[in-house]
Amino acid sequence: MGRIPGDGPDQTVLVPPFPPVSAYVYVYERQNRPAGSTVRRRDERSRVVAMSTADDGDVFPGVPDVGKADLDAMVEDERPDPREELADVEADTDLGVAMAEDAKRVARGEITGDEYWEKYDEAAADEFGEAYRETPNPAVDAGDQTVSTETAESLSCAVGSMDTVSTESAQVDGEGRGDAGGGIGAGDETWGMVIDLQKCVGCDSCTVACKSENRTPPGVSYNVVMEEEHGEFPNVTRTNVPRPCMQCDNPPCVQVCPVSATYKMDDGVVNIDYDRCIGCRYCNIACPYGARYFDFGENYDDEVDGAGEVTSPEYGVDRGPREEGESPIGNIRKCSFCTHRLERGEEPACVETCIGDARNMGDLDNPESEVAKMADSSRAFQLKEDEGTDPNVYYLK
Amino acid sequence: MATQHTRFDFDPGFEDGRLRVAWYAFVAALVAVGAYATYLRITGGMASTNLTSIVPWGAWVAFYIYFVGLSAGAFLVSTMANVFEVEGMHRIDRDALFAAIISMAVALLFVWIDLGRMDRMYFPFIWRQLTSALSWEVHAYVAYIAILVTELYFSMRIDLARVADRTSGLKERFYATLALGRLDTSEASRAFDRRWLKRAGVVGIPLAIFMVHGGTGVLFAVSKARPYWNSGLFPVIFVISALLSGTALVMLIYVLRTRLFDGEAVDPDLLDRLAQLLIGFIVVDAALTAIETFIAIASLHPHEIETWNVIMYGPMSWSFWWFMVGFSWVFPMVLLSKRSWRRTPGVMVIAGLSVVIGIIAVRFNIVVPAQVMPVMEGLPHGSYFPTLVEWGTSVGMIGVGLLLYTLGAETLPLTPLSGGDHE
Repeated sequence: MGRIPGDGPDQTVLVPPFPPVSAYVYVYERQNRPAGSTVRRRDERSRVVAMSTADDGDVFPGVPDVGKADLDAMVEDERPDPREELADVEADTDLGVAMAEDAKRVARGEITGDEYWEKYDEAAADEFGEAYRETPNPAVDAGDQTVSTETAESLSCAVGSMDTVSTESAQVDGEGRGDAGGGIGAGDETWGMVIDLQKCVGCDSCTVACKSENRTPPGVSYNVVMEEEHGEFPNVTRTNVPRPCMQCDNPPCVQVCPVSATYKMDDGVVNIDYDRCIGCRYCNIACPYGARYFDFGENYDDEVDGAGEVTSPEYGVDRGPREEGESPIGNIRKCSFCTHRLERGEEPACVETCIGDARNMGDLDNPESEVAKMADSSRAFQLKEDEGTDPNVYYLK
Repeated sequence: MATQHTRFDFDPGFEDGRLRVAWYAFVAALVAVGAYATYLRITGGMASTNLTSIVPWGAWVAFYIYFVGLSAGAFLVSTMANVFEVEGMHRIDRDALFAAIISMAVALLFVWIDLGRMDRMYFPFIWRQLTSALSWEVHAYVAYIAILVTELYFSMRIDLARVADRTSGLKERFYATLALGRLDTSEASRAFDRRWLKRAGVVGIPLAIFMVHGGTGVLFAVSKARPYWNSGLFPVIFVISALLSGTALVMLIYVLRTRLFDGEAVDPDLLDRLAQLLIGFIVVDAALTAIETFIAIASLHPHEIETWNVIMYGPMSWSFWWFMVGFSWVFPMVLLSKRSWRRTPGVMVIAGLSVVIGIIAVRFNIVVPAQVMPVMEGLPHGSYFPTLVEWGTSVGMIGVGLLLYTLGAETLPLTPLSGGDHE
């Protein structure tokens, strides 16, 4: 087993946190171990741990000693029979099994990726035809490709990188669905979010997920959770109201921008063109939800090495590393409903991370969608409804 | 006959050489401070300010609307001479127009330095947004500056031609160029100039009232997210306080330039007339502000009441009581109350200066308090006081304005050569 990078034998950091239950198991194990017996070293990591904790022998603290063979047998029991599985699909079973077996050999290093693809390219093209040729080529644009560029280019499935193909296929899928519409990635949505305040526990995970997904600098936080306490002791209640950009149908920010750098898109998201924004902050003033933030150019350099090296491809534009004097520094920023994720068929980071499943994302245009139903319910409301902004973010009270 | 007037010795500029040196040294110091602060602003970016995403508009915006107001006010005073032909006002026509132009230039400098992307300052002329007050404003400012320059030209052209006639060499070329080659000093050419001056003024009045300064008020008033600004009276108060500051500025300039540049006695009648105008504007400004405050408080809208609480009793309430109420209303009102004081140049200089400084606080009290209250309960409160960089750049830009004005006053025939009124 390989080591985790930076995991030297003298380090003691591998000892897991010591919750009471595992402590109990650990003590139990020690007490029941036959005197003088030695426990087989399971792997290198356990040895490292053992070295770091002077008197506990070789047992990995806190982990019950279930035999590795037992576990492997359990996995084997659960594993479906490849032939049975493949019999259910149209494609050739023999080819599938052969490719799977060889793929394992590639993983074990017995044959190279190049040899594998050269061997199966023709057969796969015959078997899957157009579908195969439209498959993203895993080698293209991948920094850590396992197939050489020459081989990759010789293959039939050479339509571009995973990223571009997944975006395109999401659009294609949507068109294919026709009238049914809806679903993330369909391409014809009006994106809407429904946040169930009964489910929100105020953990701020959405805020954190948003910061790490969008790599926002200090002072910029597309999502915040407004925590309000009401009443007097002992009759006190607390409401947590997460606040992303409302993606209003009548956005005051769009109304006031002197250069039309911010505008409403067909998918309901209010877009910002960082290349046009002059940084006058009028939208910042006009937003009734305080959802817009100015990028003052600050960085997390003191906290994180290379903090600005990776940025998020907001609004579908990859701007490379964050650099002084370059947009979006000096521009206004805000939540984009993670458009870059939506285009890949993924939910926004805040929705995906929400521990209580309080946040929901979907197509408000599709009456069958979960969010449309929730937004229609008697519990639904919008923030500052009397502003006339008609947000596409709904809350359930 | 005007052309035969004795005051044809054209010698603009300081009467006292030592005062000139001292004044230029003072202005140079302001500009130097501003240059260093601007260097810090450009290298440090917007992080060199105390602005935040909660209080995104601060000192620069306050000074911007201040100078737009000063300009609109000074211009409207000039129209009393060249459009409404109020008796005895021609003397200050060019002073007012020139001050209005310089004020606009300074205002635009403030807009520029306030942009997050200063390099994109021309973008509003490439891309527009019909619903954006700011988009309309930048165009109105350009049109307004064009009107001001046109007016100043028609007001001053005949004297430029006279000066060109009397000088030779480079100087002659300079004044002839400023006169755009129209060197005719006949009565007919003067009548032509007067006609066009009036026409430009007629276009300029609605432009200044409704677009330039009223529009700047609208820019704030349309922000429904900020109830403190979101009122119909707001742009009106903007215009009135602009008139107040503009009149005070013109009065100040008239006295100082007559005394220090022309070495002449101040006309007490003209001074009294300006002073009475000032009284009127102070009364209307204070009354409308009181109405606005009353409506806001009577609405019982918590946001409005909190904002007024912040203004009147918050940590910055000194700027409201001392500067806004004290310097722009009460103190000048006391000085203006007595007829003999209104005819005393020294007293009127103090009254004018007091208003001109007091209105700065009016502008700060427009911009900042509305951003202190969060737009939604649960969001953080704002707090703001400008950094040294913000003060320094502001001082520098004001210095640039003073420098431009002084250079103009030292070279241009801002005092009508033919003595002023209704020749």
